[in-house]
Amino acid sequence: MAILSARNPILSAKNLCVESLGAKESFPVLTDLNFSLEPGKILGLVGESGAGKSMIGRTISQYLPKGFAVTKGTLAFDGEDLVSMLPERRRNLLGRDIAFIPQEPLSGLNPVLTVGQQIKEHLLRIGLAAGENWRERALKEFEAVHLPHGAALLEKYPHQLSGGMCQRILIAMAFSSRPRLLIADEPTTALDVTIQARIVKLIAEMQKRDGTAVIFITHDLRLASQISDEIMVLYAGRPAERGPAKQLFSAPAHPYTRCLQLANPNITGPRRGLFILPERMPGLRVLKELKGCRFASRCPNAIEACTQTEPPLADIGPNHIAACIRTEKTPDIVPPPLAPGREIASSKIHLNGEKLTKAYTTAWSPFAKRSSFKAVNSVDFTLGEGEFVGIVGESGSGKSSLARLVVGLDTPTDGRITLAGRDITANGHADRAYRREYIQMVFQDPQSALNPRRRIGSIVTQANEASGLHNSTRERMDRAAELLKEIGLPPDASMRFPSQLSGGQKQRVNIARALCTLPRILVADEIVSGLDVSVQAQLLDLLLKLRDEHGFSMLFISHDLSVVRYLCDRVMVMYRGEVVESGRTETVFANPQHAYTRSLLAAVPPDDVNAEWSPVLAEAGYQVE
Amino acid sequence: MRPIPLWLKSGRVQTGLVIIFILGICAIFAPYLAPNDPNEQNLLSILTPPVWIDGGDAMFPLGTDSLGRCVLSRLIFGARVALTVAFSASIGAMIIGAFFAHVAGYFGGWVDWVIGRVVEIWLSFPPVILSLILMVGLGTGLRNVVLAIILVDWTRFCRVLRSEVIVLRQRDYVSAAQLVGFSHWRTITREILPGTLPLLITLMSLEMGVAIIVEAILSFVGMSVGSETAAWGQMIADARQNIYEAPFNLIAPIFAIFFAVFGFNILGDGLRRTLDTRLTQTERS
Ligand SMILES: Nc1ncnc2c1ncn2[C@@H]1O[C@H](COP(=O)(O)OP(=O)(O)O)[C@@H](O)[C@H]1O
Ligand code: SF4
Ligand SMILES: [Mg+2]
Repeated sequence: MAILSARNPILSAKNLCVESLGAKESFPVLTDLNFSLEPGKILGLVGESGAGKSMIGRTISQYLPKGFAVTKGTLAFDGEDLVSMLPERRRNLLGRDIAFIPQEPLSGLNPVLTVGQQIKEHLLRIGLAAGENWRERALKEFEAVHLPHGAALLEKYPHQLSGGMCQRILIAMAFSSRPRLLIADEPTTALDVTIQARIVKLIAEMQKRDGTAVIFITHDLRLASQISDEIMVLYAGRPAERGPAKQLFSAPAHPYTRCLQLANPNITGPRRGLFILPERMPGLRVLKELKGCRFASRCPNAIEACTQTEPPLADIGPNHIAACIRTEKTPDIVPPPLAPGREIASSKIHLNGEKLTKAYTTAWSPFAKRSSFKAVNSVDFTLGEGEFVGIVGESGSGKSSLARLVVGLDTPTDGRITLAGRDITANGHADRAYRREYIQMVFQDPQSALNPRRRIGSIVTQANEASGLHNSTRERMDRAAELLKEIGLPPDASMRFPSQLSGGQKQRVNIARALCTLPRILVADEIVSGLDVSVQAQLLDLLLKLRDEHGFSMLFISHDLSVVRYLCDRVMVMYRGEVVESGRTETVFANPQHAYTRSLLAAVPPDDVNAEWSPVLAEAGYQVE
Repeated sequence: MRPIPLWLKSGRVQTGLVIIFILGICAIFAPYLAPNDPNEQNLLSILTPPVWIDGGDAMFPLGTDSLGRCVLSRLIFGARVALTVAFSASIGAMIIGAFFAHVAGYFGGWVDWVIGRVVEIWLSFPPVILSLILMVGLGTGLRNVVLAIILVDWTRFCRVLRSEVIVLRQRDYVSAAQLVGFSHWRTITREILPGTLPLLITLMSLEMGVAIIVEAILSFVGMSVGSETAAWGQMIADARQNIYEAPFNLIAPIFAIFFAVFGFNILGDGLRRTLDTRLTQTERS
């Protein structure tokens, strides 16, 4: 059976090209895609956003955006060409033999139907065994993905469940038809590390059970190398490198793979610098005109010859190919030295929280008694001058609530907070004005943090508008130009609207607005999550550079432990509103004392591909789901 | 040059604007456009049919009513009443409704609770009954018609806008504005209002259609303008007696009301489709 299946790939692409065929111009979106996926194997697809990862999934389902079409090559599922197949036949395969798990768990479920209605519809579509009741079957499938209280779940609406639960339901639905191929498009990007780890393990477990072939799309090379058999790295719609996962990760042949790897901070061993991939992946329209290697503009190893002809995908080892003419030079790419460790010069304490507590209550009503819930529970912390302090924990652990107390968007229900010697707990009018000079905040979601109706220049100088000082158009334009220069955006960005910027650029604007009045303290809430590793590295680098210039200190909230380890001097671990562990970053990460810290650390895929990743520590009491 | 905004490209918006423009011209230039004095009674030629029917008189293109007044002139002058009520009532209702919606949605807490309950109680009265009760209390007259419509319909604005304000209030850019030191007033006017404006304009346009109908009903029952001013509802009431001899006297004002309401509704619908951030945002993403 195994030998037989090894000869018959479940999915194979030969010279597959997908183009966008516009009225005015057409350009390739995917170029020369060749791969074959055997039953029971996992193929990891890695690359920055816009590289074409999702487009592959959409080509398989033939659910391409308008104006996109397969112009060359074949894509065969179990020997049948998916592109030329009758739509009816394809519909029969999709959802049954080929299953999907989407990136946003909520978008995969219909918000107005209960989970039960949706799973019932799905089970009836894929067909139940004679005499089988859909409800029993649904509960069986829930059990397989370790979802407790299945019967109660059937009555719930998607918005009543957490992201992790929704994703489990989608996994249960995807595997209920025992598919032969599963496409998981960034199934964990929106989730916490610990939940990510559980979801990934769950997919692997289900995949083993059914012998399913999986295409696992992710922008995290480290995660892909942990769970995949083979990895394909995509750059601007073309494979840059493809090879067995472990080999590709331990000895990347293509400079792009190497750069991606080095752009991600390490979680074990001594801290190293991050490789900063400059700029962004070129747009697909530009690429059409490009003659040579499409990575040349960002490649540290590029030479004249690279820009002459497109390098072919050449063999560089067993089952390992890369599109680079100088693969022998790839190991020479090394991370830049770590910014010299700054000793915190003065031990002057800026900000001090004692037993800070915030209880959120239900909406005001004179009749009902308001119930309350402690989002932050008796937290003590300090922030010294020039110090970067990380706050880590799962979503819902109270990180953002603590940030809101610190910046004054909320008033603590209990405890004391002092800023440079002044008690600002009461958060009155004068306290706010005082605090404003010292603290500013960088928000999590750039989409929501920038008013879509204001121009960038007006957003970054909002502080002038508030104070009325230097508020003439001329002064604001000048200040905006200065700020944009500092955060590395072109001056003409000043006249643009947020929707005209990329995610990374929006986040820079977000930082610039906070910097406008040169505060002494920044509070940054998850400002790099959801961004590409390359953009993340650029932003982390920018924060360090700005600290050197302005010497501010920062409370840096993140669920990504490796980023906190890279950036922060000290770290606080939060669990259900309380700080369970805190200390110098190296100490805490090298020798975690609290069981919860250990389980957080264990959830991060290790740097060494050969190390065993056992993310789900069975330590009692620290399993959120 | 700036490109033509998306909302102006919509056929619905264009249709609505053309209709309102025509009505506006009629209202403003009524004395020049109307062939006759709308109140002049030509007792020698009562109930003449429109000009294209046998017995029609070129002096009265749409014929005359039972008192011999020119129907066309009365229609044209009637646009003045209709548009005055449409604009002043909807602007009034919008200002009151939007004010309370922004205060409730922005401050939340007990303020929101109180405003929410007042709106709920208000909405529990059927609007027609409420406006009739108000008219009885306030007395007749155009100004009181406007006042009655405002007092009845501000809740409509308040309820819809409040939920929009609550959505925008959650946006991080509102928190960011507070952190750089924006006052509550500035935060509401600079950060929240621009976001609710599309919905507000849409609601206003729909409200104008409603106001025209309410005014027509009230003038039909004789509670609006006095008989010396031409109004569409009044024309309908007058035409009832002679419905068989002169059906056109009834059809003309009904058509005028329909035309105006259609114009405001299609404009509102077009604006909703193109300006509604929820609709356009889902398109974009
Ligand atoms: N609906 C769409 N319309 C036009 N272009 C699209 C659409 N979806 C994706 N693209 C383009 O296709 C390319 C590949 O995108 P995608 O497959 O989503 O990349 P990834 O999943 O790696 O982030 C990008 O250049 C993107 O801009
Ligand atoms: S071919 Fe040249 S530019 Fe392209 S990846 Fe290799 S070294 Fe870099
Ligand atoms: Mg994608």
